[in-house]
Amino acid sequence: MKRVLAVLMATAAAGGGVFAAELAYTVRPTEVKARPFTDASTLASLGESSKVDVLQRQASWIQVKADRATGWVKMLSLRFDQLGNAPRAGGANSNLAVLFNIASTGSGGSTPTTGVKGISEEALRNPRANPTQLKQMNDLQIAAAEVQTFARAGKLSAKTMAYLPAPAAAGAPVLAQGAKK
Amino acid sequence: MKTLVSLTVLALGCSACAVAPMMIGSAVSKMDMNDVQNLVSRVQKVSDGQRDLTEPEEIALGEGVASNMLGAAPLLQDKRAQRYVNQVGLWLAMQTERADLPWHFAVLDDNEFNAFATPGGYVFITRGLLLSMRNEAELAGVLAHEIAHVLRKHHLQAIKTSNARSALAEAASSFMAQAPVTAKVGQLTPALAKLANAMTEMYTRGLDKNDEYEADRMGVVIAARAGYDPYGLPAVLQSLQTVNPNYPGLALMFKTHPSIASRLDLLAQVMDKPFDAYENQPNGVARFKAQVTMPRLAGK
Repeated sequence: MKRVLAVLMATAAAGGGVFAAELAYTVRPTEVKARPFTDASTLASLGESSKVDVLQRQASWIQVKADRATGWVKMLSLRFDQLGNAPRAGGANSNLAVLFNIASTGSGGSTPTTGVKGISEEALRNPRANPTQLKQMNDLQIAAAEVQTFARAGKLSAKTMAYLPAPAAAGAPVLAQGAKK
Repeated sequence: MKTLVSLTVLALGCSACAVAPMMIGSAVSKMDMNDVQNLVSRVQKVSDGQRDLTEPEEIALGEGVASNMLGAAPLLQDKRAQRYVNQVGLWLAMQTERADLPWHFAVLDDNEFNAFATPGGYVFITRGLLLSMRNEAELAGVLAHEIAHVLRKHHLQAIKTSNARSALAEAASSFMAQAPVTAKVGQLTPALAKLANAMTEMYTRGLDKNDEYEADRMGVVIAARAGYDPYGLPAVLQSLQTVNPNYPGLALMFKTHPSIASRLDLLAQVMDKPFDAYENQPNGVARFKAQVTMPRLAGK
Protein backbone atom coordinates (compact mmCIF):
# COMPACT_ATOMS: atom_id res chain seq x y z
CA MET A 1 0.00 0.00 0.00
CA LYS A 2 2.85 2.35 0.74
CA ARG A 3 4.21 1.70 -2.67
CA VAL A 4 0.85 2.48 -4.23
CA LEU A 5 0.61 5.76 -2.42
CA ALA A 6 4.13 6.66 -3.39
CA VAL A 7 3.26 6.06 -7.02
CA LEU A 8 0.07 8.03 -6.74
CA MET A 9 1.83 10.96 -5.14
CA ALA A 10 4.54 10.92 -7.76
CA THR A 11 1.84 10.90 -10.41
CA ALA A 12 -0.02 13.72 -8.77
CA ALA A 13 3.17 15.75 -8.59
CA ALA A 14 3.87 15.13 -12.24
CA GLY A 15 0.35 16.00 -13.35
CA GLY A 16 -0.67 18.56 -10.82
CA GLY A 17 1.58 21.46 -11.67
CA VAL A 18 2.56 21.55 -15.28
CA PHE A 19 -0.24 20.52 -17.57
CA ALA A 20 0.73 17.76 -19.93
CA ALA A 21 -1.72 17.44 -22.77
CA GLU A 22 -2.70 14.40 -24.75
CA LEU A 23 -2.43 14.38 -28.50
CA ALA A 24 -5.32 13.79 -30.83
CA TYR A 25 -6.03 14.35 -34.50
CA THR A 26 -9.10 15.33 -36.45
CA VAL A 27 -10.84 12.67 -38.53
CA ARG A 28 -12.81 15.19 -40.55
CA PRO A 29 -12.69 18.91 -41.32
CA THR A 30 -13.54 20.56 -38.02
CA GLU A 31 -14.32 24.05 -36.81
CA VAL A 32 -12.68 25.36 -33.66
CA LYS A 33 -15.31 27.24 -31.67
CA ALA A 34 -14.72 29.98 -29.13
CA ARG A 35 -17.09 28.26 -26.70
CA PRO A 36 -18.52 24.73 -26.45
CA PHE A 37 -21.69 25.53 -28.40
CA THR A 38 -22.66 24.95 -32.00
CA ASP A 39 -23.58 28.59 -32.52
CA ALA A 40 -20.43 30.01 -30.89
CA SER A 41 -18.09 31.97 -33.14
CA THR A 42 -15.60 30.00 -35.22
CA LEU A 43 -11.96 30.71 -34.43
CA ALA A 44 -10.36 28.48 -37.02
CA SER A 45 -11.12 25.66 -39.43
CA LEU A 46 -8.99 22.54 -39.21
CA GLY A 47 -8.54 20.12 -42.05
CA GLU A 48 -8.67 16.37 -41.67
CA SER A 49 -5.73 14.83 -39.78
CA SER A 50 -4.81 18.03 -37.97
CA LYS A 51 -2.89 17.38 -34.76
CA VAL A 52 -4.20 19.03 -31.62
CA ASP A 53 -3.36 19.03 -27.91
CA VAL A 54 -6.30 17.97 -25.77
CA LEU A 55 -7.06 20.18 -22.80
CA GLN A 56 -10.41 19.05 -21.40
CA ARG A 57 -13.78 17.55 -22.22
CA GLN A 58 -17.16 19.11 -21.56
CA ALA A 59 -20.15 17.02 -22.67
CA SER A 60 -19.77 16.56 -26.42
CA TRP A 61 -16.99 19.13 -26.73
CA ILE A 62 -13.25 18.91 -26.22
CA GLN A 63 -11.09 21.96 -25.67
CA VAL A 64 -7.99 21.76 -27.82
CA LYS A 65 -4.90 23.74 -28.61
CA ALA A 66 -4.27 23.77 -32.33
CA ASP A 67 -1.60 25.59 -34.31
CA ARG A 68 -3.83 28.52 -35.06
CA ALA A 69 -6.24 28.64 -32.13
CA THR A 70 -7.25 27.31 -28.77
CA GLY A 71 -10.94 26.50 -28.62
CA TRP A 72 -13.60 23.80 -28.68
CA VAL A 73 -14.25 21.03 -31.19
CA LYS A 74 -16.86 18.26 -31.21
CA MET A 75 -15.34 15.30 -29.38
CA LEU A 76 -16.33 12.82 -32.06
CA SER A 77 -14.29 14.77 -34.59
CA LEU A 78 -11.18 13.60 -32.75
CA ARG A 79 -9.29 10.32 -32.49
CA PHE A 80 -6.65 9.85 -29.86
CA ASP A 81 -3.10 8.75 -30.30
CA GLN A 82 -1.75 5.75 -28.52
CA LEU A 83 0.39 6.78 -25.66
CA GLY A 84 1.95 3.41 -25.07
CA ASN A 85 1.88 1.65 -21.77
CA ALA A 86 2.48 4.72 -19.70
CA PRO A 87 0.28 7.66 -20.68
CA ARG A 88 1.34 10.91 -19.11
CA ALA A 89 -0.48 12.20 -16.10
CA GLY A 90 -2.68 15.21 -16.46
CA GLY A 91 -3.96 14.56 -19.96
CA ALA A 92 -7.56 13.94 -20.88
CA ASN A 93 -7.66 10.92 -18.58
CA SER A 94 -5.28 11.09 -15.67
CA ASN A 95 -6.87 7.98 -14.14
CA LEU A 96 -5.40 5.89 -16.92
CA ALA A 97 -1.97 7.25 -16.18
CA VAL A 98 -2.31 6.30 -12.55
CA LEU A 99 -3.35 2.75 -13.45
CA PHE A 100 -0.50 2.36 -15.86
CA ASN A 101 2.03 3.66 -13.44
CA ILE A 102 0.92 1.06 -10.95
CA ALA A 103 0.95 -1.64 -13.58
CA SER A 104 4.49 -0.80 -14.57
CA THR A 105 5.61 -0.41 -10.99
CA GLY A 106 4.13 -3.73 -9.99
CA SER A 107 3.09 -4.75 -6.53
CA GLY A 108 5.21 -6.51 -3.98
CA GLY A 109 8.02 -7.09 -6.41
CA SER A 110 5.89 -8.74 -9.05
CA THR A 111 6.68 -8.36 -12.72
CA PRO A 112 5.14 -5.46 -14.63
CA THR A 113 2.24 -7.30 -16.18
CA THR A 114 1.04 -9.51 -13.35
CA GLY A 115 -1.29 -6.84 -12.07
CA VAL A 116 -3.17 -6.76 -15.33
CA LYS A 117 -3.01 -10.27 -16.64
CA GLY A 118 -6.75 -10.15 -17.09
CA ILE A 119 -9.39 -12.77 -17.11
CA SER A 120 -7.75 -15.88 -18.44
CA GLU A 121 -9.19 -17.24 -21.64
CA GLU A 122 -8.38 -20.66 -20.28
CA ALA A 123 -10.74 -20.03 -17.37
CA LEU A 124 -13.49 -19.21 -19.86
CA ARG A 125 -12.83 -22.24 -22.04
CA ASN A 126 -12.82 -24.62 -19.10
CA PRO A 127 -15.13 -22.78 -16.75
CA ARG A 128 -15.70 -23.61 -13.13
CA ALA A 129 -18.90 -22.32 -11.62
CA ASN A 130 -18.68 -20.37 -8.41
CA PRO A 131 -22.11 -20.67 -6.74
CA THR A 132 -20.88 -19.01 -3.53
CA GLN A 133 -19.90 -15.84 -5.40
CA LEU A 134 -23.06 -16.02 -7.47
CA LYS A 135 -25.12 -15.94 -4.29
CA GLN A 136 -23.06 -12.94 -3.11
CA MET A 137 -23.79 -11.19 -6.39
CA ASN A 138 -27.51 -11.96 -6.10
CA ASP A 139 -27.46 -10.55 -2.58
CA LEU A 140 -26.09 -7.24 -3.92
CA GLN A 141 -29.34 -6.60 -5.75
CA ILE A 142 -31.07 -3.42 -4.64
CA ALA A 143 -34.67 -2.28 -4.56
CA ALA A 144 -36.29 -0.11 -7.19
CA ALA A 145 -37.32 2.40 -4.52
CA GLU A 146 -33.70 2.90 -3.51
CA VAL A 147 -32.81 3.58 -7.12
CA GLN A 148 -35.44 6.32 -7.42
CA THR A 149 -33.86 8.06 -4.45
CA PHE A 150 -30.44 7.58 -6.01
CA ALA A 151 -31.60 9.18 -9.27
CA ARG A 152 -33.16 12.16 -7.51
CA ALA A 153 -30.00 12.71 -5.47
CA GLY A 154 -28.00 12.78 -8.71
CA LYS A 155 -30.49 15.16 -10.40
CA LEU A 156 -31.14 12.51 -13.02
CA SER A 157 -34.55 12.84 -14.63
CA ALA A 158 -35.83 10.21 -17.01
CA LYS A 159 -36.39 11.24 -20.63
CA THR A 160 -38.08 9.60 -23.57
CA MET A 161 -35.89 8.95 -26.57
CA ALA A 162 -36.23 6.39 -29.34
CA TYR A 163 -33.37 4.06 -30.24
CA LEU A 164 -31.35 5.12 -33.26
CA PRO A 165 -31.34 3.31 -36.59
CA ALA A 166 -28.02 2.03 -37.86
CA PRO A 167 -26.36 4.49 -40.23
CA ALA A 168 -26.61 3.27 -43.79
CA ALA A 169 -22.83 3.07 -44.08
CA ALA A 170 -22.64 0.51 -41.29
CA GLY A 171 -23.94 -2.22 -43.52
CA ALA A 172 -26.07 -3.37 -40.64
CA PRO A 173 -29.76 -3.96 -41.11
CA VAL A 174 -31.96 -1.25 -39.70
CA LEU A 175 -33.96 -2.98 -37.02
CA ALA A 176 -37.47 -2.07 -36.12
CA GLN A 177 -36.93 0.73 -33.67
CA GLY A 178 -39.30 1.54 -30.89
CA ALA A 179 -39.30 4.24 -28.31
CA LYS A 180 -39.68 3.16 -24.76
CA LYS A 181 -43.18 3.45 -23.29
CA MET B 1 -9.06 17.82 -14.83
CA LYS B 2 -8.39 17.01 -11.22
CA THR B 3 -7.11 13.54 -10.78
CA LEU B 4 -8.79 10.93 -8.65
CA VAL B 5 -5.56 10.52 -6.78
CA SER B 6 -6.84 12.00 -3.58
CA LEU B 7 -9.61 9.45 -3.44
CA THR B 8 -7.30 6.58 -2.98
CA VAL B 9 -6.09 8.12 0.20
CA LEU B 10 -9.56 7.90 1.66
CA ALA B 11 -10.29 5.17 4.09
CA LEU B 12 -11.30 1.90 2.56
CA GLY B 13 -13.75 1.13 5.30
CA CYS B 14 -17.24 0.55 4.11
CA SER B 15 -18.80 -0.51 7.35
CA ALA B 16 -21.31 2.27 7.08
CA CYS B 17 -22.58 1.36 3.65
CA ALA B 18 -24.94 -1.40 4.51
CA VAL B 19 -26.12 -3.24 1.47
CA ALA B 20 -29.87 -3.29 1.30
CA PRO B 21 -30.53 -6.62 -0.25
CA MET B 22 -33.89 -7.21 -1.77
CA MET B 23 -34.15 -10.82 -2.61
CA ILE B 24 -36.21 -10.90 -5.70
CA GLY B 25 -36.75 -14.61 -5.86
CA SER B 26 -35.31 -16.05 -8.97
CA ALA B 27 -37.95 -15.97 -11.64
CA VAL B 28 -36.82 -19.41 -12.54
CA SER B 29 -37.84 -20.95 -9.29
CA LYS B 30 -41.37 -19.70 -9.79
CA MET B 31 -42.02 -21.98 -12.71
CA ASP B 32 -44.96 -24.27 -12.11
CA MET B 33 -46.34 -27.23 -13.98
CA ASN B 34 -48.16 -25.07 -16.52
CA ASP B 35 -44.88 -23.48 -17.47
CA VAL B 36 -43.34 -26.89 -17.83
CA GLN B 37 -46.12 -28.06 -20.12
CA ASN B 38 -45.72 -24.95 -22.20
CA LEU B 39 -42.05 -25.70 -22.44
CA VAL B 40 -42.69 -29.24 -23.53
CA SER B 41 -44.90 -28.11 -26.34
CA ARG B 42 -42.24 -25.78 -27.62
CA VAL B 43 -39.14 -27.85 -27.09
CA GLN B 44 -39.15 -29.18 -30.59
CA LYS B 45 -39.18 -25.65 -31.91
CA VAL B 46 -36.15 -24.75 -29.84
CA SER B 47 -34.33 -27.73 -31.22
CA ASP B 48 -35.26 -26.62 -34.70
CA GLY B 49 -34.28 -23.05 -33.97
CA GLN B 50 -37.87 -21.92 -34.38
CA ARG B 51 -38.33 -20.28 -31.04
CA ASP B 52 -36.20 -18.46 -28.53
CA LEU B 53 -35.63 -19.60 -25.00
CA THR B 54 -38.35 -18.49 -22.62
CA GLU B 55 -37.42 -15.74 -20.23
CA PRO B 56 -37.00 -18.11 -17.25
CA GLU B 57 -34.74 -20.30 -19.38
CA GLU B 58 -32.78 -17.27 -20.49
CA ILE B 59 -32.32 -16.11 -16.88
CA ALA B 60 -31.27 -19.57 -15.71
CA LEU B 61 -28.75 -19.80 -18.51
CA GLY B 62 -27.40 -16.33 -17.77
CA GLU B 63 -27.08 -17.22 -14.11
CA GLY B 64 -24.98 -20.23 -15.08
CA VAL B 65 -22.71 -18.11 -17.26
CA ALA B 66 -22.45 -15.52 -14.49
CA SER B 67 -21.39 -18.22 -12.05
CA ASN B 68 -18.68 -19.26 -14.50
CA MET B 69 -17.52 -15.64 -14.86
CA LEU B 70 -17.19 -15.46 -11.10
CA GLY B 71 -15.14 -18.63 -11.27
CA ALA B 72 -12.75 -16.79 -13.63
CA ALA B 73 -12.58 -13.53 -11.64
CA PRO B 74 -13.94 -12.96 -8.14
CA LEU B 75 -16.17 -10.15 -6.94
CA LEU B 76 -14.44 -7.04 -5.72
CA GLN B 77 -14.85 -7.01 -1.94
CA ASP B 78 -15.99 -3.40 -1.73
CA LYS B 79 -19.63 -3.01 -0.75
CA ARG B 80 -19.69 0.70 -1.49
CA ALA B 81 -18.55 0.25 -5.08
CA GLN B 82 -20.79 -2.79 -5.61
CA ARG B 83 -23.84 -0.98 -4.35
CA TYR B 84 -23.03 2.09 -6.44
CA VAL B 85 -22.68 0.08 -9.64
CA ASN B 86 -26.00 -1.63 -8.88
CA GLN B 87 -27.68 1.73 -8.36
CA VAL B 88 -26.43 3.17 -11.64
CA GLY B 89 -27.10 -0.07 -13.50
CA LEU B 90 -30.63 -0.60 -12.25
CA TRP B 91 -31.57 3.03 -12.88
CA LEU B 92 -30.44 2.57 -16.50
CA ALA B 93 -32.22 -0.78 -16.87
CA MET B 94 -35.43 0.81 -15.60
CA GLN B 95 -35.42 3.06 -18.70
CA THR B 96 -35.65 0.06 -21.03
CA GLU B 97 -38.18 -2.35 -22.44
CA ARG B 98 -36.95 -5.13 -20.14
CA ALA B 99 -37.04 -3.20 -16.88
CA ASP B 100 -38.57 -6.16 -15.07
CA LEU B 101 -35.70 -8.59 -15.56
CA PRO B 102 -33.93 -9.45 -12.30
CA TRP B 103 -30.95 -7.20 -13.12
CA HIS B 104 -27.67 -7.74 -11.28
CA PHE B 105 -24.48 -5.70 -11.55
CA ALA B 106 -21.06 -6.40 -10.12
CA VAL B 107 -17.46 -5.25 -10.16
CA LEU B 108 -14.93 -8.02 -10.78
CA ASP B 109 -11.67 -7.83 -8.84
CA ASP B 110 -9.53 -7.71 -11.95
CA ASN B 111 -7.31 -4.94 -13.28
CA GLU B 112 -7.96 -5.49 -16.97
CA PHE B 113 -10.33 -3.21 -18.89
CA ASN B 114 -13.51 -5.02 -19.78
CA ALA B 115 -17.23 -5.37 -19.22
CA PHE B 116 -19.54 -8.31 -19.86
CA ALA B 117 -23.22 -9.16 -19.79
CA THR B 118 -24.88 -12.54 -19.66
CA PRO B 119 -28.42 -13.39 -20.77
CA GLY B 120 -31.18 -12.49 -18.34
CA GLY B 121 -29.49 -9.43 -16.88
CA TYR B 122 -26.15 -10.18 -15.20
CA VAL B 123 -23.71 -7.35 -15.95
CA PHE B 124 -20.04 -7.21 -14.95
CA ILE B 125 -17.43 -4.49 -15.09
CA THR B 126 -13.81 -4.99 -14.15
CA ARG B 127 -12.18 -2.94 -11.46
CA GLY B 128 -9.59 -1.77 -13.99
CA LEU B 129 -12.20 -0.30 -16.33
CA LEU B 130 -14.12 1.27 -13.45
CA LEU B 131 -10.98 2.93 -12.13
CA SER B 132 -10.07 4.29 -15.55
CA MET B 133 -13.34 6.24 -15.65
CA ARG B 134 -13.74 9.87 -14.69
CA ASN B 135 -17.43 10.19 -13.88
CA GLU B 136 -20.78 8.46 -13.49
CA ALA B 137 -21.82 9.21 -17.07
CA GLU B 138 -18.87 7.13 -18.32
CA LEU B 139 -19.89 4.26 -16.04
CA ALA B 140 -23.47 4.65 -17.25
CA GLY B 141 -22.39 4.55 -20.89
CA VAL B 142 -20.55 1.26 -20.45
CA LEU B 143 -23.27 -0.37 -18.34
CA ALA B 144 -25.91 0.77 -20.85
CA HIS B 145 -23.93 -0.85 -23.68
CA GLU B 146 -23.95 -4.13 -21.73
CA ILE B 147 -27.64 -3.75 -20.89
CA ALA B 148 -28.32 -3.43 -24.62
CA HIS B 149 -26.72 -6.82 -25.26
CA VAL B 150 -29.19 -8.31 -22.78
CA LEU B 151 -32.16 -6.43 -24.25
CA ARG B 152 -31.41 -7.68 -27.75
CA LYS B 153 -30.35 -11.19 -26.59
CA HIS B 154 -27.15 -10.91 -28.59
CA HIS B 155 -25.47 -13.82 -26.80
CA LEU B 156 -28.41 -16.10 -27.54
CA GLN B 157 -28.22 -15.09 -31.20
CA ALA B 158 -24.52 -15.80 -31.21
CA ILE B 159 -24.82 -19.28 -29.79
CA LYS B 160 -27.39 -20.25 -32.40
CA THR B 161 -24.80 -19.77 -35.09
CA SER B 162 -21.89 -21.24 -33.17
CA ASN B 163 -20.49 -24.66 -32.56
CA ALA B 164 -22.41 -24.66 -29.33
CA ARG B 165 -25.72 -24.99 -31.18
CA SER B 166 -25.95 -28.66 -30.29
CA ALA B 167 -25.70 -27.78 -26.61
CA LEU B 168 -28.62 -25.42 -27.10
CA ALA B 169 -30.74 -28.16 -28.62
CA GLU B 170 -29.75 -30.59 -25.89
CA ALA B 171 -30.64 -28.12 -23.19
CA ALA B 172 -33.98 -27.52 -24.84
CA SER B 173 -34.71 -31.24 -24.91
CA SER B 174 -33.82 -31.58 -21.27
CA PHE B 175 -36.51 -29.11 -20.33
CA MET B 176 -39.05 -31.81 -21.15
CA ALA B 177 -37.85 -34.10 -18.42
CA GLN B 178 -36.62 -31.75 -15.77
CA ALA B 179 -38.41 -28.98 -13.99
CA PRO B 180 -37.97 -26.43 -12.72
CA VAL B 181 -35.06 -25.30 -14.79
CA THR B 182 -32.96 -24.68 -11.72
CA ALA B 183 -33.57 -26.21 -8.35
CA LYS B 184 -31.97 -23.20 -6.70
CA VAL B 185 -29.49 -20.48 -7.41
CA GLY B 186 -26.26 -21.86 -8.76
CA GLN B 187 -27.56 -25.36 -9.35
CA LEU B 188 -28.39 -25.80 -12.98
CA THR B 189 -29.67 -28.92 -14.63
CA PRO B 190 -26.79 -30.80 -16.25
CA ALA B 191 -27.88 -29.90 -19.77
CA LEU B 192 -28.28 -26.23 -18.92
CA ALA B 193 -24.90 -26.21 -17.19
CA LYS B 194 -23.42 -27.65 -20.36
CA LEU B 195 -25.04 -24.89 -22.39
CA ALA B 196 -23.79 -22.30 -19.90
CA ASN B 197 -20.26 -23.67 -20.30
CA ALA B 198 -20.51 -23.56 -24.08
CA MET B 199 -21.73 -19.98 -23.88
CA THR B 200 -18.95 -19.01 -21.46
CA GLU B 201 -16.41 -20.08 -24.05
CA MET B 202 -18.04 -17.64 -26.48
CA TYR B 203 -16.74 -14.78 -24.31
CA THR B 204 -13.25 -15.51 -25.61
CA ARG B 205 -14.47 -14.88 -29.17
CA GLY B 206 -17.00 -12.12 -28.79
CA LEU B 207 -20.22 -11.21 -30.51
CA ASP B 208 -21.05 -10.22 -34.05
CA LYS B 209 -19.55 -6.79 -34.69
CA ASN B 210 -22.90 -5.39 -35.79
CA ASP B 211 -24.29 -6.42 -32.39
CA GLU B 212 -21.51 -4.40 -30.75
CA TYR B 213 -22.33 -1.38 -32.90
CA GLU B 214 -26.01 -1.78 -32.06
CA ALA B 215 -25.20 -1.96 -28.34
CA ASP B 216 -23.20 1.27 -28.70
CA ARG B 217 -26.12 3.03 -30.42
CA MET B 218 -28.59 1.77 -27.83
CA GLY B 219 -26.24 2.46 -24.93
CA VAL B 220 -25.97 6.17 -25.64
CA VAL B 221 -29.75 6.42 -25.91
CA ILE B 222 -30.32 4.53 -22.65
CA ALA B 223 -27.83 6.84 -20.91
CA ALA B 224 -29.66 9.88 -22.30
CA ARG B 225 -33.02 8.46 -21.17
CA ALA B 226 -31.60 7.98 -17.68
CA GLY B 227 -30.72 11.67 -17.54
CA TYR B 228 -26.97 11.39 -18.08
CA ASP B 229 -24.58 13.20 -20.37
CA PRO B 230 -24.81 10.64 -23.19
CA TYR B 231 -21.20 11.14 -24.27
CA GLY B 232 -19.84 8.94 -21.49
CA LEU B 233 -19.52 5.85 -23.69
CA PRO B 234 -17.57 7.57 -26.50
CA ALA B 235 -15.42 9.25 -23.82
CA VAL B 236 -14.46 5.82 -22.46
CA LEU B 237 -13.72 4.59 -25.97
CA GLN B 238 -11.49 7.60 -26.60
CA SER B 239 -9.65 6.93 -23.34
CA LEU B 240 -9.05 3.33 -24.35
CA GLN B 241 -7.81 4.56 -27.70
CA THR B 242 -4.80 6.04 -25.94
CA VAL B 243 -3.78 2.61 -24.70
CA ASN B 244 -1.36 0.43 -26.60
CA PRO B 245 -3.45 -2.47 -27.95
CA ASN B 246 -0.69 -4.86 -26.88
CA TYR B 247 -1.27 -3.88 -23.29
CA PRO B 248 -2.22 -7.17 -21.58
CA GLY B 249 -5.14 -5.68 -19.70
CA LEU B 250 -6.84 -4.85 -22.99
CA ALA B 251 -6.09 -8.01 -24.92
CA LEU B 252 -9.42 -9.76 -24.40
CA MET B 253 -11.49 -6.62 -24.93
CA PHE B 254 -9.69 -5.79 -28.17
CA LYS B 255 -9.92 -9.37 -29.37
CA THR B 256 -13.66 -9.57 -28.81
CA HIS B 257 -14.77 -6.16 -30.08
CA PRO B 258 -14.56 -4.25 -33.37
CA SER B 259 -11.88 -1.56 -33.47
CA ILE B 260 -12.44 1.46 -31.28
CA ALA B 261 -11.97 3.73 -34.30
CA SER B 262 -14.82 2.03 -36.15
CA ARG B 263 -17.07 2.20 -33.10
CA LEU B 264 -16.38 5.92 -32.71
CA ASP B 265 -16.93 6.50 -36.42
CA LEU B 266 -20.36 4.89 -36.23
CA LEU B 267 -21.32 6.76 -33.07
CA ALA B 268 -20.24 10.00 -34.73
CA GLN B 269 -22.70 9.30 -37.52
CA VAL B 270 -25.68 8.98 -35.20
CA MET B 271 -24.80 11.18 -32.20
CA ASP B 272 -25.49 14.55 -33.66
CA LYS B 273 -28.70 16.52 -33.72
CA PRO B 274 -30.74 14.03 -31.66
CA PHE B 275 -28.36 14.44 -28.73
CA ASP B 276 -28.10 18.22 -28.64
CA ALA B 277 -30.98 18.40 -26.18
CA TYR B 278 -29.28 16.03 -23.75
CA GLU B 279 -25.64 16.97 -23.86
CA ASN B 280 -25.75 19.17 -20.79
CA GLN B 281 -27.34 16.53 -18.61
CA PRO B 282 -25.28 15.77 -15.47
CA ASN B 283 -22.21 13.56 -15.58
CA GLY B 284 -22.21 12.79 -11.87
CA VAL B 285 -18.52 13.45 -11.41
CA ALA B 286 -18.77 14.34 -7.71
CA ARG B 287 -20.77 11.25 -6.79
CA PHE B 288 -18.49 9.01 -8.82
CA LYS B 289 -15.45 10.28 -6.94
CA ALA B 290 -17.20 9.78 -3.62
CA GLN B 291 -18.28 6.21 -4.38
CA VAL B 292 -15.35 4.74 -6.29
CA THR B 293 -12.75 4.86 -3.60
CA MET B 294 -11.04 1.50 -3.65
CA PRO B 295 -7.27 1.31 -4.05
CA ARG B 296 -5.96 0.92 -7.54
CA LEU B 297 -4.27 -2.37 -7.03
CA ALA B 298 -6.16 -5.64 -7.43
CA GLY B 299 -5.75 -8.55 -5.10
CA LYS B 300 -5.30 -6.60 -1.88
